[in-house]
Amino acid sequence: MTLKTVGLRKAFGGVVAIDGADVEFLPGKVNALIGPNGSGKTTFFNCVTGMIKPDLGSVVFGDRDLTGRAPHVIARAGVGRTFQLCRTFPRMTAVENVLAAVRPGGVVHGLRSSHRRTETERAHHWLTRLGIEHLAEAEARNMSWGQQKLLELAGVLMAEPATILLDEPAGGVNPALLDRIGTLVRELNAEGRTFVIVEHNMDLVMSISDHIVVFDRGRPIAAGPPAEIRADERVLGAYLGV
Amino acid sequence: MPNASKSLLSYGLPALVLIVAIALFPSLAPNPYILSSGVIVLNWAVLATAWNFVGGFTGYISLGHGALAGLGGYATGLLITKADLPSFGALIVAAVLVAALAVPIGYAALRVRGASFVIVSIALVLILLLVFQSWSSVTGGSRGLVVPRPFPGMLRPDHHRAFFFLYGGLLLLALATWWLLDRSRFGMGLKAIREDEDKAESLGTPTFAYKLTVFVVSAAFTALAGGLYALWFGDLDPVFQFSVLTGSYIVLMALLGGVRNLYGPVLGAIVVGVALEYFKVEFGNSPLHLVTTGLLLGLVVMFMPDGVIPSLTALVKRLRNREDSSIREVTAADLAEQRREREAAKS
Amino acid sequence: MLVFQSVILGLLLGGLYALLAAGLTLYFGIMRVVMIAHSAFLILAAYLAWWTNDRLGIDPLLSLVVTVPLFFGAGVLLQRGLLSRLRPATLTMMSVLITFAIALMIEGLLGYAFSGTQRRIQLGYGTASFDLFGARVAVVKLIAFALAAVSLAALYTLMKRTQFGWALRATIQHRDAARLVGIDTERTAGYGFGLGLATAAVGGTALSLDTTIYPSLHWHWIGPLMAIIVVGGLGSVPGAAAAALLLGLAQSLLQIPMGATWAQTVFYVALFATLAVRPQGFFGGRLAQRF
Repeated sequence: MTLKTVGLRKAFGGVVAIDGADVEFLPGKVNALIGPNGSGKTTFFNCVTGMIKPDLGSVVFGDRDLTGRAPHVIARAGVGRTFQLCRTFPRMTAVENVLAAVRPGGVVHGLRSSHRRTETERAHHWLTRLGIEHLAEAEARNMSWGQQKLLELAGVLMAEPATILLDEPAGGVNPALLDRIGTLVRELNAEGRTFVIVEHNMDLVMSISDHIVVFDRGRPIAAGPPAEIRADERVLGAYLGV
Repeated sequence: MPNASKSLLSYGLPALVLIVAIALFPSLAPNPYILSSGVIVLNWAVLATAWNFVGGFTGYISLGHGALAGLGGYATGLLITKADLPSFGALIVAAVLVAALAVPIGYAALRVRGASFVIVSIALVLILLLVFQSWSSVTGGSRGLVVPRPFPGMLRPDHHRAFFFLYGGLLLLALATWWLLDRSRFGMGLKAIREDEDKAESLGTPTFAYKLTVFVVSAAFTALAGGLYALWFGDLDPVFQFSVLTGSYIVLMALLGGVRNLYGPVLGAIVVGVALEYFKVEFGNSPLHLVTTGLLLGLVVMFMPDGVIPSLTALVKRLRNREDSSIREVTAADLAEQRREREAAKS
Repeated sequence: MLVFQSVILGLLLGGLYALLAAGLTLYFGIMRVVMIAHSAFLILAAYLAWWTNDRLGIDPLLSLVVTVPLFFGAGVLLQRGLLSRLRPATLTMMSVLITFAIALMIEGLLGYAFSGTQRRIQLGYGTASFDLFGARVAVVKLIAFALAAVSLAALYTLMKRTQFGWALRATIQHRDAARLVGIDTERTAGYGFGLGLATAAVGGTALSLDTTIYPSLHWHWIGPLMAIIVVGGLGSVPGAAAAALLLGLAQSLLQIPMGATWAQTVFYVALFATLAVRPQGFFGGRLAQRF
């Protein structure tokens, strides 16, 4: 299932944040979205995930047009996301944070216990996989920044999305955790999940991604594998402001 | 499993106490007046618990639940007097009608976040007061509406006793429903909305549909309490049925007892409800009621937004085991983890 | 002729609504706070004006000299002392409760101090009126409108032309950015609240000139005012002003066929319709979508 946008445009008052962006992410790969500050990456993410309605253009996932749909519809279609400043449910325990991603189908299903065996086991599976199982019963607000980042990812994974959008996964985490996140993304990708990552840390981007899209002033200016992007003069120009 | 025994202790035991208290109170009440005060307190308990379906789960504060109760009362009364429905049939139909009306109200109030909901909830009280006072050909206007008693010929003390048990049953039903939601997947989604609505939405929770559903359930229980009040008291006056004060008492009770707890609103309703009855006897209706309510509400919001009872329990817990408070536990674990990470990185 | 008279009266009333709604909009812009106590302060100011006239025997307009700075100070205190101490995550809900609690206290204290009796200022020029193209307009209504119009103009000039206004607008539009360029956003927010409450002082004095007042009157004002800021688009001052004039006019015109009480419902109908159809309001207001 390919995630792509066609002619996406979003303006805030007179400021055009995204200016006719045609972007296609490669399915089954780790995609990265890079660009200087203010180039519209986060707004682009928000348009794709339905948090903001685009003015023009469309968002397509596989054969479904998701343009302007509610965020939960897009999430249920199989596009999960994390937030730039990581967001968890502060007064819920780690397990509950992950269980909150369970989507009941129908009334009877919705009235069943939220802590049913099968789901709790899956939640613990993800906590273990991300190395925060020992914090399962701790409230998210009492966890460290890095732990919360992992917890947020665990919640997204619980929903089994086909494509996962990570907004600055390396933001504010220590080098050891950074390595772990990099490894995790590669592993999860090897299991068949598509990733799209907005990231400023070039080392991480260059080491884990298969395909890089470069944004500048609200539109993609280059796309290709890391080696190609590294050699592209337009990319350098965008970053240096020439 | 430790969870099972814990939930039995925190849900089962209070439930038992509550059931026994409801069963015994009418025989222990020294006079009909005390019994009628008991009915009023139970009415508050149902209202506060019904309010907590919205306030506790989603974190949306409604100041207009008094109006929903008033609407339930008037609908019950009008269905009996104008449509000749039997008393309790009218009560059920009225609750269904109010729940149906809650759909468009919720649609307007819940589509956007926070502020609009509060605005709509207050506006609801003001507009209904206006309508019910002015539309006197139907509602009786300021003269009020007399609702026929459901048990004609019953003596006053027996009448109070009957309604005490009816309210007790309704309270248990509301509590059971709240508990059912609290432990369900649906409830998990609602609590996620309270914590972070955007985040819940991004995880695939249809937040608007969830909020609307729980608002409708809340309105139905509120209307049932209001309708029961109409049948019990027998006389409705728009000034009291659509009073902003009713809504603020409900909020005060729920917040005081704690909105995250099943029994919080009941406890708050008992404390505030008893105090209200006491002050009514001692001082009558004075403007100082408003001042005290406002002051208490302000104090709770400023200093104990989680409720007085939860704050006190937390304090006791902190004093009792200073050594292993939850924050420290995690920080220690955190440090250990970082140490492990460093070592892993080195090797 | 009756219609023309109503149009004039509606516009005069709309002016007062616009001033008060501007205050509400300020609070909302600064802190996303729906200030329920705004109209309670309005009635408080009206009582102070009545008291000035009744006890001291001087013109109620003179009470402005005291009430405007007093309310400004109260606004600063309210923001700095109470609202800024609430947790940001639950600010919108809890601030409503705080201001609601304040409204209850003011209403209760007014009832305690002055009893629930209806009060009305007796002025020498209270019954004077003049003829405007055939419409009879009471002088006091014109004074009230002039007071509102002058204050709104002053507020506008302050916001657009002064250093403080610039800082306040920056704080409203982008708090973090404002802080980055060296604005003390906390203090500015406090002054903004003071300014908002000052509009209630002016409005209350204007109101007292030709209205019978009683402690619970503020509920009749907060409903329409909330409707106005929602219809205008939460956070938009020009939107609020336009909605104020429009709804004031509608209320005044509807009084002819429907009577005074039913005409009030126009505000609530407009409120519900706006939220159901276009929750961001009809006159801009980019903040509304999310709050």
